[in-house]
Amino acid sequence: MGDQKIHRILMVSDFFYPNFGGVENHIYYLSQCLLKLGHKVVVMTHAYGNRSGVRYMTGGLKVYYVPWRPFFMQNTLPTIYGTLPIIRTILIREKITIVHGHQAFSTLCHEALMHARTMGYKVVFTDHSLYGFSDVGSIHMNKVLQFTLADVSQAICVSHTSKENTVLRSGLPPEKVFVIPNAVDTAMFKPAMERPSRDEIIIVVISRLVYRKGADLLVEVIPEVCSLHPNVRFVIGGDGPKRVRLEEMREKHSLQDRVEMLGAVPHAQVRSVLVSGHIFLNSSLTEAFCIAILEAASCGLLTVSTRVGGVPEVLPDDMVVLAEPDPDDMVQAIQKAITMLPKLIHKSCTLE
Amino acid sequence: MDISRNGSPSPAYPKWTKVVYGGMQPGYNDNYTDESFLEGMIMNANVVKRDMLKVMQDSVSISQYLCIVSLVVLVWAFTLRSNLDENSLFFIDVSLLGSGFLILLFSEEMHSLNLLHYVLNISFFTTGLYVLAPIYQTLTRSISSDTIWAVSASLLMLHLFLHDYSESMVRAAGALKNPTLTSCISLNASVVASVFIASCLPSRLHVFAIMLFSLQVFLFAPLVTYCIKKYSFRLYLFFSLSLMVVTLAFVYTLHRLLFVLLLSLLVFVTMVCPYWLIRIQQYKFKINGPWDEAKLCFDITD
Repeated sequence: MGDQKIHRILMVSDFFYPNFGGVENHIYYLSQCLLKLGHKVVVMTHAYGNRSGVRYMTGGLKVYYVPWRPFFMQNTLPTIYGTLPIIRTILIREKITIVHGHQAFSTLCHEALMHARTMGYKVVFTDHSLYGFSDVGSIHMNKVLQFTLADVSQAICVSHTSKENTVLRSGLPPEKVFVIPNAVDTAMFKPAMERPSRDEIIIVVISRLVYRKGADLLVEVIPEVCSLHPNVRFVIGGDGPKRVRLEEMREKHSLQDRVEMLGAVPHAQVRSVLVSGHIFLNSSLTEAFCIAILEAASCGLLTVSTRVGGVPEVLPDDMVVLAEPDPDDMVQAIQKAITMLPKLIHKSCTLE
Repeated sequence: MDISRNGSPSPAYPKWTKVVYGGMQPGYNDNYTDESFLEGMIMNANVVKRDMLKVMQDSVSISQYLCIVSLVVLVWAFTLRSNLDENSLFFIDVSLLGSGFLILLFSEEMHSLNLLHYVLNISFFTTGLYVLAPIYQTLTRSISSDTIWAVSASLLMLHLFLHDYSESMVRAAGALKNPTLTSCISLNASVVASVFIASCLPSRLHVFAIMLFSLQVFLFAPLVTYCIKKYSFRLYLFFSLSLMVVTLAFVYTLHRLLFVLLLSLLVFVTMVCPYWLIRIQQYKFKINGPWDEAKLCFDITD
């Protein structure tokens, strides 16, 4: 580790601001931390709407919005050699020493890794999600991954489960793959100054309301919990195709006054939503790391989560209640969390 | 680069655990690979071991349907060659309809009310077809018959390719599942093919008779064979085998080369393909593990 050496790093991914999600966040914060250490960081992504060209972000982070239009799920059209000229120009102009690609299904990342490697640069790849092996999409993706990662210097995964997955998919030797978990900015996610009242228990859900995030599980779980515990309220932040189903469920069981739907919550306001609750509920069906439960725990909430992917590795047992992704088990887990609650609150009161 | 392979743990350090909280575990690098690595991986978890006889029996439904379609094509060919006149066609229609109903009655134990309903529907359908027959007859007058044969042949290929061999498309009363898109396309392809062929025929009655015949077979043959299969598998096997023999005999009278082709196709479907499937089973390699997306254990009703 030459700690005196200043690196010039190019981050490449199709996913970056103004798009929003775990990967975008990760790239941004990683870049900020590297900038603070004195390294030079440049981000390369594709154009978003009319945002194209070069922009500067906080801390002098230079972002290239390459004028390639996304064609499918924010991905650029894979052309293999189409992006070579611009990648080469950026690599040479910015005197890059390391190329860091993010996310396995970003085509821009794969192309950049390939071109950078042929130009002799050192290349690092971070995998943020889990993939299966049996459906057509995954088989195709895994072939592409094997091809581009064949010569990668190091790979980073966010959890041990993710490492196992990546090693199997890409055929990299396990010792080339490092596990570096995601992190949250605890200065941003800190508990409320005063505890939320104990008259009613508020369960917070913040996630995109899509199938993969288990929105259908919520539809089954929420009415059950509401009927078992009259003093429980739900606050649901997030938007997506499954929102209609949740609203239907709310109408059907007349829970309008007990289930609050906030719609999409901007990241800056996530903390204020989190601190209003006692329990955070995550119902994902697949998750490599799950930064959401880490943010919730950082805000002082007890978390209930499905036992999928890398989730069991994220938090110690006294901070999370895990359940199988099945409605009955999740209801039980929430009940267990509710019984754990008073103790937790009491403990923190005595500490103060 | 200092990648110590499997950063050998000294006894002073606590045992490595599979968690990512609490920072780096002392004594272990970030790329440390424990013995428990890939412990959760399961290979070929729910792979069914198949046996030859079972697969061969299952493949019978495919070869049987191939024979049914060949019989339809035979009837078309004989009618176009004027070996079959409209009276014998009507006789075939009525006897097929009657025997189909009888089979349904015996195997399904239908109520009389339901039967009346069926009879009404069939009569409406037949009248409609009779009224439309003149239109069908003149539909493709300006198109050469070679084109029509070529198009019909490709449509039938499509039909056979997309046909749902496991179940019947026309459901018995109270069936739950909706037909899939592919089986709908398959059925429509067969209907279009029969319209095309019917439009080459000389008289209106011919057109009516042949349309009725083809629609009866394409719509209801899968249902009838399905009912037989449900009633008794032995009977079904016997029925299929006799159907194959009859078809082969008729094809033999039509054309030698076609006979050889059909025979080899049937052998391929019932003998070679099952053997092939069992041979390639040993290469099956399916990986499951903790990274798999969880399946919901309840139905989502959107």
